Amino acid sequence: MKVADIIRRAGRSLRQAKTRTLLTSLAIGVGAFTITLSLAGGQGGRDYADAIVKSNTDVREVVVTKQTDETAVQEYDPDTAGLSLGAGTPGPAAASSGIEPITMTDIDQITEVEHVDSVTPNYSPQVNYITADGDNEFVVSSLSTFAPAVTLTYAAGGVDGELADDQIVLNEDYAEALGFASPEDAVDQTVTINATRQQTVFTGSPEAKDVDFTVVAVSSESGLAFRSQGSLLISTNAAKELYDYITEGTAAYNKFFIASVLVDDPENAGLVKTELENQGYSAQTAEDILGTINIFINVLLGILLGFGALAVLTSVFGIINTQYISVLERTQQIGLMKALGMSGGDVGKLFTFEAAWIGFLGGGIGAGLAVIAGTIANPYISDALGLGDIYLLIFEPLQVVGVVVILIIISILAGIFPALKASKLDPIEALRTE
Amino acid sequence: MIEVKHITKTYGKKQNTFIAINDVSFTIPNGKSVAILGKSGSGKSTLMHAMSGLDRPQQGQVVIDGRDILKLKSKDVDAFRAQKMSFIFQSFFVQANESCYDNVSLPLEIAKVPRSKRRQKVEAALSAVQLLDKKKSRARDLSGGQKQRLAIARAIVNEPDILFADEPTGNLDSTTGGVVEDFLFNYAKDRGATLIVVTHDEDLARKCDARINIKDGVIESTTGFAERPTKKKKVMG
Repeated sequence: MKVADIIRRAGRSLRQAKTRTLLTSLAIGVGAFTITLSLAGGQGGRDYADAIVKSNTDVREVVVTKQTDETAVQEYDPDTAGLSLGAGTPGPAAASSGIEPITMTDIDQITEVEHVDSVTPNYSPQVNYITADGDNEFVVSSLSTFAPAVTLTYAAGGVDGELADDQIVLNEDYAEALGFASPEDAVDQTVTINATRQQTVFTGSPEAKDVDFTVVAVSSESGLAFRSQGSLLISTNAAKELYDYITEGTAAYNKFFIASVLVDDPENAGLVKTELENQGYSAQTAEDILGTINIFINVLLGILLGFGALAVLTSVFGIINTQYISVLERTQQIGLMKALGMSGGDVGKLFTFEAAWIGFLGGGIGAGLAVIAGTIANPYISDALGLGDIYLLIFEPLQVVGVVVILIIISILAGIFPALKASKLDPIEALRTE
Repeated sequence: MIEVKHITKTYGKKQNTFIAINDVSFTIPNGKSVAILGKSGSGKSTLMHAMSGLDRPQQGQVVIDGRDILKLKSKDVDAFRAQKMSFIFQSFFVQANESCYDNVSLPLEIAKVPRSKRRQKVEAALSAVQLLDKKKSRARDLSGGQKQRLAIARAIVNEPDILFADEPTGNLDSTTGGVVEDFLFNYAKDRGATLIVVTHDEDLARKCDARINIKDGVIESTTGFAERPTKKKKVMG
């Protein structure tokens, strides 16, 4: 018997037992639904993490810190003792946190490493306040440097390439607080940042200065941002100038916790990381950050897939049961087909294809419903999680097809036992059954 | 030509051995209609199963057109049956849920007849038993006589050389039974096919060219054969 004819007969047999076929398929469908959604969630999660890391870090960037063994007892070092996170409060905080500062010597050393394009210390000057009109002054929570590789979404204005030294990017909250009616109004306006020079010896009247910046853009909240948001962004040069002004003469001067290394090619980020680690630095690439996030996503995905697999396992017994009963019910039909010259192998194939049809139907229904439900739910999920225009469930057509194909294969495997029984049925015995 | 040579079929083992047919031999020329007549349990059905290769007797040969089908591999016997033989059963064995068309199409599919050639053959077979108008009806909606006519259409669709009919009219009243018999004999005569009817019905047996009376697994007597089949042994035990 030709395979096409066997497949058609198998399909017809199932149609004649619609309810049973549908119920058996639905069991598999539950598994298909769960697995398809899990895979879509995993894919979406990974894409999301990827997008976060890509829009917040430069793939060419390696973040370097100098870390000592945290648990080891350290010797007191007067140079380190004065330095703490930021430049403000002096104290032994840095030493106790196990972080050794990166000095200019370190930076020169890192610059020598092969594939390193440039090394920029992370300047984050602790300024006093920001003001637009000179009267209302606001605390600056974090002032950091603008990186062209980091994707920002703008409510108004925009930055073309690098930021000029007298330019600043505000976020929406600051634009509003500073008294601008709308983000558009803030663009091209001048804001002033006030910084105080730190003293090694208290003299009574600290020196302070005002620096003016022109607002070029107002950044808006993005579902992808986790680093730059809430910051005021200025150019590296402007940040260095402020930093130097604030820290010059103190122990913290020219000492940094973090330096960012730009590699000539993203491919070499790993190489540079290894080399830096050999030299005693602690280095993290964009991929490292992504890897950490992906571990969490994969664990979650694994748990969900486990539930799906459990559902499929249950449905396997459903298929075996249904097909076995079907063989018993159709003993006479099997006998007749064998009498008419159908080989045992072909009879077995008939039942195998029926199982395959069940798998196809269940997998198709489950995966299809998952795609429909996921597509409908996506905007709501993004809304609830505040992801903006990013969707968390991403259906890869190849994955969906893969799920259906795998379920068909599993159904065929489940159908082997009943199919074997059918193929071995004695036609004479079968035809005696009334 | 079907030559049955010294066929013995037993069931069970050792003390429980039951001899269904014991050293049976006969020869049926092509195109003849032969009745195998006997009471139930006489071994006539077993004999039919052996002749069609459905069953494998412990001893003997069934030589059809010079080939011993009992020596063939099971796959080849299946193919042989699909090409050359057909069956009609007392309880019809039509597939109730399927259309008449699909019922008749089954042997063609098994014999790997291309789809394009099937339609014409199926319709010809249905016409031959006057069921063409029921082509799309489900078999379960047919009457008993119609079901058996459908079974005949299924049996003749692939134009077999040998047609086995196991009590073909056993479940039918005499009028419809007569109609069914006519279809059977007409096909055999028109096609020159060999018709082997297994029955306990004397009237039906009388319509055949020849008959073999079987009792307790041995041939009791034969009529209508040109030469007498080889002498049979007496039943043992």
